Amino acid sequence: MARAGFVCALLAATALGLTGCGNSEGSRGEGPVRVVCTTGMVADLVRQVGGDHVAVTTLMGEGVDPHLYKPTPGDIDTLSRADVIFYSGRNLEGKMGEVFARMARKKPTLAVADAIADEHLLDGDGGHHDPHLWFDVALWSKTLEPIRAELAKLDPANAATFEANAATYRERLLALDTWARNELGTVPKARRVLVTAHDAFRYFGRAYDVEVRGIQGISTESEAGVGSVNDLVAFLKDRRVKAVFVESSVSEKNIQAVIEGCARGSNPLTVAVGGELFSDAMGAADTPEGTYEGMVRHNVRTIVEALR
Amino acid sequence: MIAYNTLVVLAGVGLLGAAAGLVGTFATLRRRALVGDALAHAALPGLCVAFLLIGERWLPGLLLGALVSGLVGVGVIAFLRRFTRIKEDAAIGIVLSVFFGLGIVLVTWIQKTSTTGSKAGLDSYILGKTAGIVLADVQLIGLVAAAILALVLLFYKEAKLLVFDPDFARVQGWPVGWLDFLLMGLLAVVVVIGLPAVGVVLMAALLILPGSTARFWSDRFGVILTLATLFGAATGLVGASLSAATDTLPAGPIIVLVGTALFVASALFAPRRGVVARWLDDRRFRRELREGAVP
Amino acid sequence: MTPVLDVHDVTVAYHRKPVLWDVDFTLDEPCLAGIIGPNGSGKSTLLKAVLGLVPLASGRVTAFGEPVARVRKRIGYVPQRNSVDWDFPVHVADVVLMGTYGRLGWFQRPGRAERQWAAECLERVGLTHLADRQIGQLSGGQQQRTFLARALAQRSDLYFMDEPMAGVDAATERVIFTVLKELRDAGRTVVVVHHDLRTVEDYFDRVVLLNTRLVASGPTATTFTAENLQRTYGGRLAILEKAGQAIREQRGPGR
Repeated sequence: MARAGFVCALLAATALGLTGCGNSEGSRGEGPVRVVCTTGMVADLVRQVGGDHVAVTTLMGEGVDPHLYKPTPGDIDTLSRADVIFYSGRNLEGKMGEVFARMARKKPTLAVADAIADEHLLDGDGGHHDPHLWFDVALWSKTLEPIRAELAKLDPANAATFEANAATYRERLLALDTWARNELGTVPKARRVLVTAHDAFRYFGRAYDVEVRGIQGISTESEAGVGSVNDLVAFLKDRRVKAVFVESSVSEKNIQAVIEGCARGSNPLTVAVGGELFSDAMGAADTPEGTYEGMVRHNVRTIVEALR
Repeated sequence: MIAYNTLVVLAGVGLLGAAAGLVGTFATLRRRALVGDALAHAALPGLCVAFLLIGERWLPGLLLGALVSGLVGVGVIAFLRRFTRIKEDAAIGIVLSVFFGLGIVLVTWIQKTSTTGSKAGLDSYILGKTAGIVLADVQLIGLVAAAILALVLLFYKEAKLLVFDPDFARVQGWPVGWLDFLLMGLLAVVVVIGLPAVGVVLMAALLILPGSTARFWSDRFGVILTLATLFGAATGLVGASLSAATDTLPAGPIIVLVGTALFVASALFAPRRGVVARWLDDRRFRRELREGAVP
Repeated sequence: MTPVLDVHDVTVAYHRKPVLWDVDFTLDEPCLAGIIGPNGSGKSTLLKAVLGLVPLASGRVTAFGEPVARVRKRIGYVPQRNSVDWDFPVHVADVVLMGTYGRLGWFQRPGRAERQWAAECLERVGLTHLADRQIGQLSGGQQQRTFLARALAQRSDLYFMDEPMAGVDAATERVIFTVLKELRDAGRTVVVVHHDLRTVEDYFDRVVLLNTRLVASGPTATTFTAENLQRTYGGRLAILEKAGQAIREQRGPGR
């Protein structure tokens, strides 16, 4: 009996040892840098900086909610084989904290949002900051630097290329930032109110001077009560806001309830869905909305058209 | 003035509580209370499959899927009971866990891979979400509640007999199998329409608590059914109101806590049948014995 | 004349084990018949098989010349006491009223006439004073009498009773037997699964002796013999026989 136990233990140890050997523990071979990112927004940045010298895998695709995402064993496998991991951070990927801590012990694992100092951030729930930074385009462009730096460390031969790419992209993002501000400026201030399913757009609101309200809180984990719905209905009726927006990665049931509430009772107001916005996830990979710039443009255009 | 949305939520949950209390009491008296629980848990995979087939969040379609898979679960329980050595409680436990587990796997998988998966909010069916109840939902619940009331009134004596003594009913010539099927069908429908509001995990409580509470107040069949309906409605209304007032607490668990509080209060303080009343009665009887006053 | 009850080659099996095997007997005319046999001999099962509550593996049962399913209105039933949950929230009067349901159509509620009749049946078994009592508050004998009253309310011609006198007090037993005799005298037939050998000869005109197979059936006087009892109960009969003897001697001649 004891002998069988010993043999089993030996086999188990061997198996563990073999799997441990299977991946790239800091020993990067030839070829593109293997990068794994969580959200599409982060992945897009990495691709812009890295160009052909990176092979990027994104864990959370179109329509996936990063607040609720739980990694599968397949994901862990993908993460273990990466040369570097970039994630958004500031608790956006609320259920992956442990996984990042584990991966960080073996390879560079960076939260790009950490590049931005606390004083520029908005407060969130439960002692964390609001993680939806990418909607402030200028702020988001600051995350390019840590990405460039890390890639340069891993692939010094192409450091100059990374530098050039990052600079070019930064220019484009700053231009996008200006364009967004101008576009939104064409909507009269009184009507510049953005109502969405959850509080993902506060940075957007701050950057482009838009009043922002969400039904659910900053994380979609929190449930919205009828009280929130009532408050929003009162707010909409009071300000005569005619358009609300659904999100690609969040249930629209609450929005429907708000619309119905506005149509009844005192001071009825016909509110329509102004369009679908990409909040925590981008669009389909082969469409323009599948890139960060495309996503921002789509959102801004949709909002401006509906509110003007 | 109560806000419109609050009214809608209260109406929906109140009607649901009433319907669930009524049908649930029949099921409990028929010793099939846990089948309601199994139905609720078994509905989850059906919701997911319906979503995958329909591709978007169309509530009647989802509920139909939930109904089908719930009934399949009940069918499996019956099969296990009839053709294997497995007893009813184990069969219920097996079906409940397996189907629910499958449902969780599907929900998680859909959230990851489907492009509109998160939009469907399938995970809200687990604990329920009342804030998003709209008029159309209330109309559906109201329709079901009205149908249940009508059927109960119509089939009153048949149901009473079926639940009390099915063998005697058979001897009299009543089609017990079909009547049972009707009862289970109503149970399934109530469970399924209740899922968006209270969720899979807690639906059973809404079925069982009102009838059990009513038992402490009466031992007449008709009175118990009426009380169960009222207690169910009250539980839904009070629970939904509390949830609306606090705003951050999910509705399903609050509703169940209200129902439980009502049950515990009744169990303790109901006149004659409550624990306290019985204890006082007992004490008085013993005192009378000592004083030689008992005839 | 068509026999009241004809049980023809009935076999019943649970999970491929036979519980009743080739049981065949006939009741030609109204009588009080007792089904007698040791525990596990299939007495209850025979009743349930005749009533269609358990499926027949083979054989056929007719009542009044027709399949049982067609003459349901003429058949009454008193099940074993433990077949219902006595905690159920119904009152005695409710239960007796259920006996009238068989003659009401779908959705039809019992009316004044039915309530009146149910009250009379309750009176006949002496339980009028308990009409509003919840059934769990009754004694064993009172519960049994409630079931009997329910069967009476069915106004049947052929009654089946499963151990109606098990675990009841002497007074209840007398009441029940009186009612059964009245039924028989009024031209009804009552088939009773009975457990107490000592009272068989007092109560029943005919007996059916059963031990998975039919041992014997016929008039009590000729069928309820020591030899048949021996075959029904096997070796266990020595004590019973002695007890039976003793009682007969006690009673003396001319009973």
